[in-house]
Amino acid sequence: MKKSVKNPILASMAFAALALPLAAFAADDALQQKVDALTKEVETLKQQPGKFDWLTIGGDYRFRVDSLHATIADYYQFTGDPLAPAAMKEEDVKNDTLYTNRLGLNIKAKVTQDVNLTTRLLMYKSFGNSDASATSGTFFADRVGQFDGTQGHTPGDDKLLVDQAFITWSNIADEPIWFSVGRRPSTGGVPSHLRQNADKPGNGGIPSLMVDYAFDGMSLGYAPDIEALPGAYGKICYGRGFESGYEKDSDAGALNDMDMLGISLVPYETDPLYLNVQWNRGYDIIDAPVIADSAFGPMSPSVNLGSIDWFGVTTLSTLKNVGPGSLNFFVSGAASVTHPNDNLSGGMAGLMYNAGEEAESKYGWGAYAGARYDITSTRTKIGAEYNHGSKNWVAMDHASDDMWTGKLGARGDVYEVYLIQELDRKAIASYNARAFFRLGYQYYNFDYTGSSNWVGAPQKISELDDPMKQQLFAPVKNAQDLYATFEVRF
Amino acid sequence: MKKIAATIVLALFATLLLCQGSLADEIKAVAVITKIELAADGASAVVALKENKTDAVIEVLVTDDLTLDKFKDHRIVVGDEIRLKYQVEDGKNISKYFRKTAGC
Repeated sequence: MKKSVKNPILASMAFAALALPLAAFAADDALQQKVDALTKEVETLKQQPGKFDWLTIGGDYRFRVDSLHATIADYYQFTGDPLAPAAMKEEDVKNDTLYTNRLGLNIKAKVTQDVNLTTRLLMYKSFGNSDASATSGTFFADRVGQFDGTQGHTPGDDKLLVDQAFITWSNIADEPIWFSVGRRPSTGGVPSHLRQNADKPGNGGIPSLMVDYAFDGMSLGYAPDIEALPGAYGKICYGRGFESGYEKDSDAGALNDMDMLGISLVPYETDPLYLNVQWNRGYDIIDAPVIADSAFGPMSPSVNLGSIDWFGVTTLSTLKNVGPGSLNFFVSGAASVTHPNDNLSGGMAGLMYNAGEEAESKYGWGAYAGARYDITSTRTKIGAEYNHGSKNWVAMDHASDDMWTGKLGARGDVYEVYLIQELDRKAIASYNARAFFRLGYQYYNFDYTGSSNWVGAPQKISELDDPMKQQLFAPVKNAQDLYATFEVRF
Repeated sequence: MKKIAATIVLALFATLLLCQGSLADEIKAVAVITKIELAADGASAVVALKENKTDAVIEVLVTDDLTLDKFKDHRIVVGDEIRLKYQVEDGKNISKYFRKTAGC
């Protein structure tokens, strides 16, 4: 019996001793196979659409400090009585430290097949202030206060404002045709994204030299497949810049709505060459926007002054592997042509002319050029920009990201240099998430009055010692802004 | 003379057939990217896409530098909707046109 009992135990032990390593090997093998399969599954899952694949959330935050200095020329101040202007002596104006917060939240929803909703919410305020008064002044028309075309783009209060909200219907009739309507992506266009260290705007963007203004409107676009013209597309855009509201039959000389129509053609879009040709027309241009609390007090439009045509060309190039990095450079040029009617704002000034002058068409031009070099290994980007506006140049650039005034609307010269240093940290929030510092300096040298303004005739700033050339806005002859930021984008 | 004419007609017919064949081989689709596999040398990528209309999964080989650059710097990523054209060559779907759906 014992023998028969012992034998199976011994046999089992012997078998186990022999089989254990084999079993262990087999287990290792099976485990490895499982790990491999799981790894593959995880990799596949990572790349597959998830539960919230229809929703994309992103955004940005910017802390910024500006040190602002300017010099106001000798001039005569309009006091309300044209016969009694006040003589003003040259003086400096400054704000040594202006701190601001800007928070942006981007939400994109794939609603149905071919239909998306895109939104961008913005809060932009100065430290220690919850209105636009700290950054409003009586120097430039686009910075007397915050209004519909600039809200979210100039410091205001701590509320999140709807900067963009639009529906896009793509693939119409199974063709590369799209229709989009809502509050438009009509700010921060090419090539201004370079100095902002932002991604290049897509089909919705507008060249920044001509338009940098928050519009409500719509566009119809077509992107044909032409082998010789990679990336080509064109679109017709419409925007409403001012809604005049109800009008009774008995209202004589009531205000019309201010509208904008544009045709944008991008015949070529690759990294080495981006080309844009554009025409815009602003209809029934108003003399002032609605601002509840401007630096002059409450403002609202009183007359329509006529229309303005804009024509422009923008080119942008990115060349990779130029030395230790990439080189981006651009040239942009535009012309403005006014078509005034006989209406005068306050009985004093029409569309680029003054009372007593002939209401004639004025031609102006603006040019914008610059470059940015990106050093790949250190994540450092160094840029320089220059722009010039002629005597009669007028731009729709009121929402530009500049403290003094939209630099691309300046009648004179503006120089800017900047350095961007990205932190060498792995992106987590999104593929292109990044944190960076930006240090920059702007110098404005104004030749003529009325930058970023189309009301009244421009005057040479060095010749304002004449009571007949009295000014509503204090004529800044030069301005500087030394700024630094700490920003995140995700 | 008749032989020459017949040869020309046949050649034209053959050319037309060939053209039709090549046109017929070019397949258009609007699809969402589900996977991008970039080759180690960065000279090509195999992209899996789910077609909008049929939910069919397509796998295409992308070799043009403009598109490959967009994969590398994440301007085109998984989840993006693409309008594409491809041809079947040696059993592989070769991308001829690969662009994000136009819109804003």
